[in-house]
Amino acid sequence: MGGYRFRWDVIPANLEFLLSGLQQTLYISSITLVLAMIGGMIIALLDMSRFLPFRMIGVAWGELIRNTPILVQLLWIYYVLPMALGININAWTALVIGLSVYSSAFIAEAYRAGIQAVPVGHREAARVLGMSSTQTLFRIVLPQAVRMTLPPLAANFVQLIKFSSLGAVISVGEITRRGMELSASIFRPLEVFTFIAIVYFVICWPLAMAIRAWERRLARR
Amino acid sequence: MSTELATPAATKTALIAAEALSKSFGDVQVLSGIDLAIHPQEVVCMIGPSGSGKTTLLRCLALLETPSLGCVRMEGQIISQPDQTRAVKKAAQSMGRDIGMVFQHFNLWPHMTVLQNIIEAPVRVRKTPRAKAVAEAESLLEKVGLSDKRDVYPARLSGGQQQRVAIARALAMRPKVLLFDEATSALDPELKREVLLVMRALAGEGMTMVVVTHEMGFARNVGTRIVFMDEGAIVEEGAPRAFFETPQTDRAKRFLRQFED
Ligand SMILES: Nc1ncnc2c1ncn2[C@@H]1O[C@H](COP(=O)(O)OP(=O)(O)OP(=O)(O)O)[C@@H](O)[C@H]1O
Ligand SMILES: [Mg+2]
Repeated sequence: MGGYRFRWDVIPANLEFLLSGLQQTLYISSITLVLAMIGGMIIALLDMSRFLPFRMIGVAWGELIRNTPILVQLLWIYYVLPMALGININAWTALVIGLSVYSSAFIAEAYRAGIQAVPVGHREAARVLGMSSTQTLFRIVLPQAVRMTLPPLAANFVQLIKFSSLGAVISVGEITRRGMELSASIFRPLEVFTFIAIVYFVICWPLAMAIRAWERRLARR
Repeated sequence: MSTELATPAATKTALIAAEALSKSFGDVQVLSGIDLAIHPQEVVCMIGPSGSGKTTLLRCLALLETPSLGCVRMEGQIISQPDQTRAVKKAAQSMGRDIGMVFQHFNLWPHMTVLQNIIEAPVRVRKTPRAKAVAEAESLLEKVGLSDKRDVYPARLSGGQQQRVAIARALAMRPKVLLFDEATSALDPELKREVLLVMRALAGEGMTMVVVTHEMGFARNVGTRIVFMDEGAIVEEGAPRAFFETPQTDRAKRFLRQFED
């Protein structure tokens, strides 16, 4: 590759096109995070339910999602689900559903870990004082658990930014897809994909560092 | 004040009582056939070797454990038994809030200030108007000598201060009986004193107390009755002076020997 001549000017020339992809990436990751937080709550509630069948559904769901590749899940939702249900799912919706479902299994774990990190004694103190289990959950357990859950949620957001690049496979116009399209039309994959890698890194790395600092602070309390 | 072994008749007039109470965890029997009746204004000090079941008995009285056999009565009514029927649950809910407990490790809620810790249960459970709850909390803080810590978070307090807040929090519910599980064991000697003084003052005001403790000085000077437990049973009980000076059973004698210098 000694003779290769970089043509970095292709980046500014197509910046608007690439950044419209970045906008999609961030949009998809954000929506997915919100959906996954809700889905994670449902899975966590199923997991911790007193009713065995609910618990089994929650556990089976989590295991299934955590032990199959996300790309396969996406392809399944895009190609199989519409056929199975006889409905139309466009690529964008399939990506958002797939990422949300995937992320919700991990977020459910984060919720559970946060709740379990609250010492039993705190709950017992509330119980002896006559507080109901609902009051104890909302006043004593969740406020403490939420603080523990915020760093893993942020970490999940970073994951979602990266995993949304899988949308390229089913032609969702996020930044990786835009890069593929651009490099196919101007034959400059080296410049385009280097630029895209840098964009991901510049967004994800500071976030990851902030999360680590945040976790250290929580651990010290 | 009754010093004889409780009989079912005695448990019916007691403020709170364990009646033929046994507790097992799986195959392990931890309490066997405990009869213990606590009457108003008694300060019952429970002592005994590690693992003898003192904590478990206190937790049964606090309704944190369900007995495997027997029951817990409050003012004659069953509030806990192996078969937690709806009536028992209802009695537990209405009378259970008259039972307060102070834990070895304080168990203050770290995300709330001292004041918030104290008013939480009165406001949410007793539905005391907030202003009134705050005023009561302030007078309780004065009583335990922590008026200046009102708006501080528990993490900023020493162990002794945290335990005094925990006592104030329990008192805020105006309990009829207060259970202490080794309230000073986790504290350094100089911090133990400040907590023991608060407990002593409470006893002086006529608060009914059940105190699991390794502080023999407190048991002897403040207790009105000593209950000595070993291997899940009450082996001996009596007035403090009699118990410490002339213990009747070999097990009590052996136990007390370790506190001699
Ligand atoms: N939840 C539990 N599950 C199983 N065993 C338990 C449980 N709680 C207590 N035990 C056992 O019951 C026995 C009595 O424990 P308990 O804590 O009541 O004793 P204790 O008199 O308070 O002792 P210490 O002075 O060390 O606090 C111990 O052998 C303990 O291991
Ligand atoms: Mg104990």
